[in-house]
Amino acid sequence: MEKELENKFLDDFEANQNIVHKVCRIYTTNQDAHNDLFQEITIQLWKNYSKFRGDAKFSTWMYRVALNTAISLYRKSTRTIQTQDITEYSFKIKAEDYDDTEELQLKALYSAIRKLNDIDKALIFLYLEDKSYREISDTLGISEVNARVKMNRAKDKLKKVLNP
Amino acid sequence: MDLDKYKKAWENQPEETHKVSKVDIYKMAHSKSSSIVKWIFIIGILEFVLLNSLYFVVDMEEAYNEYRQLGLYNFMFYSQFVLYPILFYFLIKFYLNYKSISVVDSTKTLMDKIIKTRKTVKYYVLFNLLYVFIFGVIVSIATLKTHPEFNSKQILVSIIITIVVLIIMVIILWCFYQLLYGILLRKLNKNYKELAKLEELN
Repeated sequence: MEKELENKFLDDFEANQNIVHKVCRIYTTNQDAHNDLFQEITIQLWKNYSKFRGDAKFSTWMYRVALNTAISLYRKSTRTIQTQDITEYSFKIKAEDYDDTEELQLKALYSAIRKLNDIDKALIFLYLEDKSYREISDTLGISEVNARVKMNRAKDKLKKVLNP
Repeated sequence: MDLDKYKKAWENQPEETHKVSKVDIYKMAHSKSSSIVKWIFIIGILEFVLLNSLYFVVDMEEAYNEYRQLGLYNFMFYSQFVLYPILFYFLIKFYLNYKSISVVDSTKTLMDKIIKTRKTVKYYVLFNLLYVFIFGVIVSIATLKTHPEFNSKQILVSIIITIVVLIIMVIILWCFYQLLYGILLRKLNKNYKELAKLEELN
């Protein structure tokens, strides 16, 4: 039973790990910290996986745990588990049809988001991930009206950083 | 300026090139957490243990003889019946609060619960400091009673000195305590304020 749950978790996690990478990219600035936060989020996801019921999508649940860990639980630590292959930190894209301007925009976007405070980061991240205000207010635990107001302010801040 | 083009770039961003393998996910999932919740729990338990282990360090037999001489034996003996239920009340509350913390809650609820858990220990420490203070005053008054040769000026000076020393002790302990949790919870408190700011305005 435990083994079955574990396998299901590994499948779900592996398929959705990009969400966690994106959260780590906006909340940390170097690869060590990225790995460390990634690890803490993994621990929290696994610890709570048995309580995860299929009534929500795994990815929705993952957003919440990942953001909560980054915002409230994570402390810098020195522990590192040797992982096989995460090395340099970059958004380099190898696909041939990839648009160069978009790559630059993406870089600018990441560095602008990193300048925001932790809550604004979460708001902007959920906006970029195309989440509804309902989901955003649920995830953060504030009313929908407040989520809208806060979102507008966060967007204004982001625009200012992007275009000073 | 519109954020749309940036959003489009975001949507088109490639998948992480260095994917974490299942083996690594497994290893990570089974490693030890170093979250602040864990630290709050460890430090909280240490506080309960340290504050209570003082009784084992002090030679109780000798201490009770001392209290007997000061006429405080009964007070000391019966105050334990008040102290231990209070200690257990705090311990149980601390444990229940800690257990209720869930990373699956909304961000705000999660922060509320973490802060509540810490506050339980804070009140326990506050209670102990208050107890030490009151106890210190009572002992010094009882001690003065055993020295009838003191004139009123001497009595007044001794009381003032005792109170000042006790206040300084309590302040030092309190500062140390604030520093400990201040460092641990700086980020969380900042984020909590940021999230709650809007609600306060309404």
